[in-house]
Amino acid sequence: MRRWIWLFFLGLGALAQGRLEAGAYFQGGLFPTLEAGFALEEGEVYLRLQPGRGGLGYLGGVALGPLGYLGYGLQGEVGEGGLGGAVFLEGGAGPLALEGRLSYRPQAAFPLFPEEGLWGRLALRYRLAPKEVAGLLLEGGRAEATYALREGATYTLGLGVAGSPYLVLGFKGEVGEGGEVLDLALRLGGVNRLEGGLYLGEASLLFILSHPWAGSLTLWLGDLGLEAGFHQAPYAWVRYAWRWP
Amino acid sequence: MRERETPKAVGWKAWGLMALLFLSLALAQSPQEILSRMVRNLDAPWQAEVRGEIQGPGGKEEFRARVYAISRQGLFRIEYLKPGSLEGNFTVITDKEVWNYLYLTNQLIISPKEKAQVSGLGFNPALLGNAQAMAERLDLRLLGRVSTPQGPAYRLLGQPKPGEALGFREVELWILEEDPRPVRFIFRGEGGQVLGDLQVVAFQRANLTPAGLKRYPKDAQVVRR
Repeated sequence: MRRWIWLFFLGLGALAQGRLEAGAYFQGGLFPTLEAGFALEEGEVYLRLQPGRGGLGYLGGVALGPLGYLGYGLQGEVGEGGLGGAVFLEGGAGPLALEGRLSYRPQAAFPLFPEEGLWGRLALRYRLAPKEVAGLLLEGGRAEATYALREGATYTLGLGVAGSPYLVLGFKGEVGEGGEVLDLALRLGGVNRLEGGLYLGEASLLFILSHPWAGSLTLWLGDLGLEAGFHQAPYAWVRYAWRWP
Repeated sequence: MRERETPKAVGWKAWGLMALLFLSLALAQSPQEILSRMVRNLDAPWQAEVRGEIQGPGGKEEFRARVYAISRQGLFRIEYLKPGSLEGNFTVITDKEVWNYLYLTNQLIISPKEKAQVSGLGFNPALLGNAQAMAERLDLRLLGRVSTPQGPAYRLLGQPKPGEALGFREVELWILEEDPRPVRFIFRGEGGQVLGDLQVVAFQRANLTPAGLKRYPKDAQVVRR
């Protein structure tokens, strides 16, 4: 039987280009996570698996050359609590970019299926001028409007409401000659969260710190991902990604 | 009795004959020879600015882009400056792939050359300055010569070879005679309407590296198609 499973995966590998991301997640106990994607002639079929829940989805896209790209997809899930699913559309064309996601699952299952119940996100961004972008975000009872100005680096200022109002401040800029990027976003008030990312190419360092206390620190070294954080309880997640051909 | 021709008249005739001779020699050049000369001339890395008008999705729009080329390696980078909705976007063409970086969504869309979409700009930017691509994808013929501010130029007409969907019916290409390089592209659609009229200016040899042409923000989402 084991031989057939290996042959199955080898066969898929020979037929398609794809990716496989295997991980170990620790929070109270240790369990494996698996994400796999297989490229088709158009689009990709992907699989997400962890104990208690699995999802199968399709990702497609329409490329418009330098004018834009629109990606879309759908995902079906089975597992503890019952069935679930998600649909999404994201991308941009000319001066407009959008991201829309709608999902339902009876209960959250960390780390691969984090949202619980009926969950939606709609983000719109519009280029007012070549260097100015206005954004609107609606997500799970939160609304946020931002204005971003690109003068060398990109500076973002915004206001949001999540029960009570909050302020958004952002900075994103290149910090090296080779396209290395530092991205910081601070939300203060109704939402208190500091997010950051330093992207160096082969290595990336990402963090989130929020109040009430939660946070994570993630380091990607090539295809190896190391993440540690606090989400209701301390956790750690190690992942490794293979891509072929 | 015919009057004797003055030395001045003889001179003019000689010049005229020489001009005719040069013209006939020039016209005798095949498009392939002209392209070959251009390929040799553009062998060293170069950069230029392309500017003019294109028929965009919303009508006629101003177009400006910087082109960087290491022709010998089949490597080109086109950085869009206008229309404003494209500023910050760029296209990189390698020997096997076409990369389109989209500033607004911070995505790098990588497609194999055979799957790369027609741009939607009314012309295919992959042809700008890429003589090899033109020779492979277009049937070319010589229309004649034209004078430009940069000197006399050949006028070539290119029509996509059967099976090539490039988004235009024909392209008129002007190539300088003395310093063979493209100075003007006129793309026409199925109805003969001008889809893009672009001039190549500020041409210069440059010290370019493959890494520099392939540079993109390291936080971009890479989408392989």
